[in-house]
Amino acid sequence: MKKKLLILLILFTVFTGKALEKKHFALFSDRDTYASGETLFLKVVAPSDEPSGVVKVDLINSAGKIVVEISKKLTNQQADGFIYLPDSLSSGFYLLGTTTKISSELTFKEIYVSNRFTGIPETGLALGPKITNQIVEKEVPEMQIQGLVQGYKARDLARVTLRLPDSFISQISGNLLLSVSQTTPGYNPATFSANLQPLKDTVIEKDGVIVEGIVKDLKTGEPFKNGLIFMSIPDSLPRFDFFLTDTDGRFNFNLDNYYGNIPVVVQGFDKNEKRVIKIAVKHPEVMTSGLPDFESRTVTPELRKIAEKNNDAITFSKIFNQKEISIQPVQMPKKESYPFYGLAKSVVYPNLFIDLPDFTEISRELLTGVKFRAYNRIPTLQIFNSSQHTYFNDSPLLLLDGIPVRDLSVIKNLGSKEIKRVEIIQSERHYGNLTFPGVLAIYSAKADYLRPVESDELVRLNVEGIQPEASLNTVLDQKESIPDLRRVLLWEPSIKPEQSINLDFKVSDIQGSYKLLIRGTTRDGSVFYKEQSFEVN
Amino acid sequence: MTKRIFYIITLWGLLTGGSLIAQDKKQKMWNSEKIKGTQFIAYPTYAGTPYLSEKFVIGDIELTDGTTIRELGLRYSSFQDELIYYNKFISKQIVIDKISLKGFSFDNGNGVKRIFRSQDYDINSHEQRFFEVLSKGTTSLLAYRKVDLESCETSYSKFGLAYQPSYRYYLYSAEKGYSTVKLTRNSLLSKFDKPNQKIIKRILRKNGVQITDEASFVKAWDLVSESGIKLL
Repeated sequence: MKKKLLILLILFTVFTGKALEKKHFALFSDRDTYASGETLFLKVVAPSDEPSGVVKVDLINSAGKIVVEISKKLTNQQADGFIYLPDSLSSGFYLLGTTTKISSELTFKEIYVSNRFTGIPETGLALGPKITNQIVEKEVPEMQIQGLVQGYKARDLARVTLRLPDSFISQISGNLLLSVSQTTPGYNPATFSANLQPLKDTVIEKDGVIVEGIVKDLKTGEPFKNGLIFMSIPDSLPRFDFFLTDTDGRFNFNLDNYYGNIPVVVQGFDKNEKRVIKIAVKHPEVMTSGLPDFESRTVTPELRKIAEKNNDAITFSKIFNQKEISIQPVQMPKKESYPFYGLAKSVVYPNLFIDLPDFTEISRELLTGVKFRAYNRIPTLQIFNSSQHTYFNDSPLLLLDGIPVRDLSVIKNLGSKEIKRVEIIQSERHYGNLTFPGVLAIYSAKADYLRPVESDELVRLNVEGIQPEASLNTVLDQKESIPDLRRVLLWEPSIKPEQSINLDFKVSDIQGSYKLLIRGTTRDGSVFYKEQSFEVN
Repeated sequence: MTKRIFYIITLWGLLTGGSLIAQDKKQKMWNSEKIKGTQFIAYPTYAGTPYLSEKFVIGDIELTDGTTIRELGLRYSSFQDELIYYNKFISKQIVIDKISLKGFSFDNGNGVKRIFRSQDYDINSHEQRFFEVLSKGTTSLLAYRKVDLESCETSYSKFGLAYQPSYRYYLYSAEKGYSTVKLTRNSLLSKFDKPNQKIIKRILRKNGVQITDEASFVKAWDLVSESGIKLL
């Protein structure tokens, strides 16, 4: 009996210990106060057991509304990115939140944004988040900052060396974040964690953002099985994917390695062509269930002073067209070398011929093996099957700028001026389990993917893909006559921990208090920091 | 009686569960395999065979984007140098776009894996061919399993045409490109300078290798390749 109790006790201790491990996301920003129109730099460290490959970072206002959302790819559980703070933001406290689509953990960081046109309201009152579960950062005394002096003059060059003892390096998980930026004395916003209700029936994001949704029978409203869903991304080499729904009616498409804003068209129909379906694309706001309450707070005079000073600096930097960040060009992995519908042997450029008013005329005069007719105002389309020497009985795959079109009237009025080129494939093509009795791919002169009309069966989206990598512009060779209005002097989000790290940064023309800050996480998930302040006079 | 009911319920549960799992797997398969290709049009029937294997064999394909699709019914057409796969969902034979393939492999039935890779034969025309990799290394020994349609006696084939194997062998390295080789000892020796030819002769003699067919040539090449002797 005693033995059993002992085993139970050991098991209990092990499981409880595991449960008590810190599993929150670490979230760092370059500063605590911003002006609208500025860029916020951020870094996220995901818990070691987080299986997702993509992390979300949202900017949320005091009404709980998501203002900006970005997605970043995690590399060694870490990601760094940026958020443009729109000029439309009103002055107030905001939350930066981070989590993944499947996590039940959420981390928030409070920031203050002042609108550079309206400033801070005279009342000095604003809604701020109620802080619970604050994440305590531990200062590391054994880390040393050498060479940083108390006071600098504008445009001085600072040379600093960081010393890390070997015993501490071995405890660090991943890379370090090093930043030098202006501080707001008296304003120390908290970073805190919250619990989320994990989304049900969602798909884990590994290499990119996932577009997911559900199809229902339009008549009964029930999830629809055997809904054939097409996803297209219009491009010079259009991307196409398909999904056959199961009894739950759910579908998903992985936009792996797609960066920036992506125009996406999702359409679907009953595979057996019997029922009419309705598509709904989900855009889950993952963080809303974990939002804290907001309470009235007073904006301190120090915060007001700094904010007003900065508003002017930002406006001036806009006048001088000083760019805060450099976005690195994205190296898209080579996924496709030719269109999904195959390489066309016949390509026709209608603008090289006599001007023809509509597609019936174009097909009749220029497109060999394409029969497009609009008798009784009902258009029909057939392609010649070159291997069988006869026309296919069924309609071919018709694409307009890479988007499958089922309604032939969409192309009926396209004349020579509207069409850049037409690609024709006169054989039965296969893409997975889809069969196309010939292909007719029309590329319009304006590449206007808005032509297919939105309906129950067709949804157009602008999906925000993975945010490309960016770095802070550190102006080291700026002319004396042009003011240097940087408030962030250094932002190095991914520095390998070493015994000795040398840093150089140039001080800007903005006077005030600054802080050199080193942050990171240890293997047990705790956040540590080391900081040293200095003044610019 | 109670026991019988219990057994029936258990059996029903197992069958239903199995069927649901199979259905789910089928649905996933439907959505996962996205091979691009064209409908296969059967070749005219003449004497000989246009295919490498008489029947479809189970094999894997590797696409140019790095994706590997396993356990497909494959058949290599030596006549057209194209790979045909059988799509069981739509019950069709499909010629996989050569441009989308990096290579394919299958078991020859004796536990030996046969590996084919697609590569440019003529850089200028970007003509791609499937080569069987007989020996892999800095210089690989490749076989182009070509079948030609040739004229023959009408007594042999009623249309006076027959599919005739016309296999070609190459030594290939990324630096030097292709060098034709015949399955003979002299052809192999001709690829090396005089002093090295003597060494090779000695190696072959020592290992008792006599080049008489493809298998013995591959063995001889492997021995030469292992010895590190450089080609001309």
